Amino acid sequence: MEQLEIKALVQSVLEETKGIAGYFVVRAQSRREWSMRLSNGRFERVSTGEDSGIGVQAFTEKGASGFANSDVLDKETGRKLVEKAIQLALRNEGIGSKANRQIWAAPPVQEEVANTAQKGFEEIPLAELEKMVMTLHSRLSSSFPKGVWQSSYRQVEEVWCIGRSDGTLVSFVIPRAVLMHQGTVRNNGKAQSTLIHRSGMDATLLIDELADSILEKKAIDRAEFALAVCAAPQLPSGHYPLIIDYGLAKGLAHEAFGHAVESDHMNESVLGENGKLRKGLRVARPGVSIIDGPLIGDWANQPFSANGLPRQTVTIVRDGILEAGLGDVFSAEEAGMPVTGAGRAESYGHIPLPRMSNIRLLVERMLPLTPEEHLMDEVKAVRETLLQHGEMLAGEKNLLLLGYRGGQVNPKTGDFVFQCDGIIDVADPDLPIYQPSIFSGKILSALEAIRGGLGEGCYDAIGTCGKGGQSVASSGGSHRFLLMDVDQQVSLGGEQA
Amino acid sequence: MKLVAQLEDLLYKAQRAPKNEELKLSAWRIVVHESEVVALGIKDNSPGSVYTPPSYRQGESGDVFLVWSDGTCSQTMVQLPFSSDPDYWPRALEQWKQASYADPDAVHIPAPESLPLVAVEDRSIKSIITGNDKILFDQADRWLKDIPKNVKMQGSIQAAWGYRHVRTSTGLAVTYQQSQFASGFSFDSLIGAGFAKRRLIRPEEQEKLWLQTVNQYEWMQKEASPVGANTQVILAPGMTEDMVRQFILPNFSGDRVIEGQGAFSKESFQDNKPVFHEQLSLMIDPFRPLELGSYLVTPEGIPASRTVLVQDGQLKTPYLRVKDAVRWGAKPTGLPQGTAGLYIKHKSEAPWLELLQGIEDGVLILSVLGLHTQDSVSGSYSLSAPHSLRILKGRIVGKTDVKLSGNFLADLAAATTKTALSELDNYPYLMIRTGVQNL
Repeated sequence: MEQLEIKALVQSVLEETKGIAGYFVVRAQSRREWSMRLSNGRFERVSTGEDSGIGVQAFTEKGASGFANSDVLDKETGRKLVEKAIQLALRNEGIGSKANRQIWAAPPVQEEVANTAQKGFEEIPLAELEKMVMTLHSRLSSSFPKGVWQSSYRQVEEVWCIGRSDGTLVSFVIPRAVLMHQGTVRNNGKAQSTLIHRSGMDATLLIDELADSILEKKAIDRAEFALAVCAAPQLPSGHYPLIIDYGLAKGLAHEAFGHAVESDHMNESVLGENGKLRKGLRVARPGVSIIDGPLIGDWANQPFSANGLPRQTVTIVRDGILEAGLGDVFSAEEAGMPVTGAGRAESYGHIPLPRMSNIRLLVERMLPLTPEEHLMDEVKAVRETLLQHGEMLAGEKNLLLLGYRGGQVNPKTGDFVFQCDGIIDVADPDLPIYQPSIFSGKILSALEAIRGGLGEGCYDAIGTCGKGGQSVASSGGSHRFLLMDVDQQVSLGGEQA
Repeated sequence: MKLVAQLEDLLYKAQRAPKNEELKLSAWRIVVHESEVVALGIKDNSPGSVYTPPSYRQGESGDVFLVWSDGTCSQTMVQLPFSSDPDYWPRALEQWKQASYADPDAVHIPAPESLPLVAVEDRSIKSIITGNDKILFDQADRWLKDIPKNVKMQGSIQAAWGYRHVRTSTGLAVTYQQSQFASGFSFDSLIGAGFAKRRLIRPEEQEKLWLQTVNQYEWMQKEASPVGANTQVILAPGMTEDMVRQFILPNFSGDRVIEGQGAFSKESFQDNKPVFHEQLSLMIDPFRPLELGSYLVTPEGIPASRTVLVQDGQLKTPYLRVKDAVRWGAKPTGLPQGTAGLYIKHKSEAPWLELLQGIEDGVLILSVLGLHTQDSVSGSYSLSAPHSLRILKGRIVGKTDVKLSGNFLADLAAATTKTALSELDNYPYLMIRTGVQNL
């Protein structure tokens, strides 16, 4: 469905709400996806699909809510959803649910954001995309035959329209594409896998990759590293000075800080007190900042919230001090923060929750790092830069944690864990490699331990945020690397010391 | 007209009397789900909050697999068209053809076979969908009345009911009803419990689940002594299931084994290599009445069948979809639905309370942080488990925070590993000797 059709549908459903006491938010979404997966030189799957639908969130005058949604897109279904949603809201009012009338205070917005993709969704035919991905996959497989390779490509276009009872009508298009290579290597009787990706808005990324092979080179480097990891020893567990790459830094900022400042979490967040954001709290050394906001062309870009408000860029931590949170219209006031348009939902069928978009962790004290084409050259450059600036902590291992495999945080207790692909001791001129082990601790201690950055900002670390059982695109980054001091509340797992 | 009928009409015509020879089909299969779901949530002790309101969902969508007369195939996800444009489906067919690709192993559509009788529908769930939803609200109300003092509770209850239609060009045409009920709650986002089956939870099950969680919460309020080098690690049933999801499921998927992307090679299966301890077996059983992993027929039209993946510690077969089965040279197997439908069996299982009494020095792991980040192929783990329960002299005595490091594939191969049956779960308690340290 096109943007105009979606808008007309939302308007027609809003018409059905006229004369019904209460307030309505109508969300419609049309999603197209083309995807393909190749394994060992053969297509395993090519698939096309569409998923469109409409969701109606109804509020009684007292502020109780109900929600109804369907993947059937017609006026009759829209009418049925309106009836069902207000009926559930009234039922909810009857059980004494907590009322929320904040939506009445939201300012009306009428805007339309056009598609920012360079290539239209169907501009390059699927058959041609298949050829391009096969070429990239074959090139990689022949360049690194010691690995078993699976390549996948996915391009998605989401058209959203959000309308509200106050006349708000916003619509926008989110284009998204990603190419991934997953390699499995075996060495020393052990297997290890590695996953690497390149993201963009559309098939332009395939054209770019065919020209510059950036992802292919990274994939080969990572596979070589994984081979070495298979035969690598484990580290003794303990507390070490650390250097983390920007993927891991994004994980730290997203899992440890972003979620802890979302307005619906203040009752159970380590950064909340009596349900309010602990504004003014020193959480890091001076010079450390955390910023969240959408970037055009980015994997997690979203110009408007799923409640129809503009998405703002928020400085969460400025110069080490907790300054602001990510507030949606429903819980920002209660959490003691402004509404920043943070509500995002996986689809029309989900209730929006406050979430991040692109989160960046930045440090004023930045050491320059010359970009290198290959992984181990970059690791050598890190070692040289640290030695040159007197930043190598003498007499102990200085461990570089490479690759981000994901993480998890308990926002209430502040416990976090992250996993990497492997570890290198850059204090040792031989750059010995170790098995990955869990990087864990307390989030406030981890932030306090950050002492500097290496290299310019890289913000294209992508992922999927699973908050509330939904899957929503997330992204972010940091300097190429972050330097962290030893902290007794931040440790690496591994063998018993 | 229903989606399944529209698709059948389109595909029969494209097979028998196509408008264009290029768009002629030689075979096809369809699976369509029609479902209705009602749900209710609790956030911070508030039922039906703005983030968890009572909700209703209606859906009708499907997956289509096509084999064209030139031998190529296409896959697509479909839903009812937005407009009543008569050209919608013919145009879609042209687009699907453009998306076709060569995959000779995938084009086999099996002939229909007789289907087993499996209980997958609880009629009382249908009545919730059709309006008798008091049971959901009553359940939430009961939880809220019983919450321990000063606890912030989160919870959700969901009931789903619908039709599943499976059609193939070889003559399979089956439609059946299925249901699902899931409920879960947590206290202070630290500890929780859940239920998910194709039937309603029974009052006694609900009571036991609640009591178990309240007890665990109370134990959490007492600090216990740290663990030592000889402390025995016990994974709670939910934790065992999570470990199986991360380390076992991917390594038994036929496509990954065939492509060399799993922990075990194809030859290891063919040679029935012993990989787990001889007391341990692993099987897929889709016949258990009203279990979440039970079904009549796979989306590919294969009747449900019981499949042993590991027998007495030895590899037997990975689970095989049609395409994998063609490549493997065997019949398609039963399929798990996530971890549902997959069962671990140890020859000397004991009831949990009996096993607990015999533990001198142990720690019960209820949950860990970061399991999804671990490498499933290697089986290795390095995990943080804050809020675990300390066991001393056969009794749970309080809370402790630990780190675990080891290898789950090695754990299942170890002679020291034992299991204990849980009254409330399909997965067992798993008692392992692994690296454990204080956090």
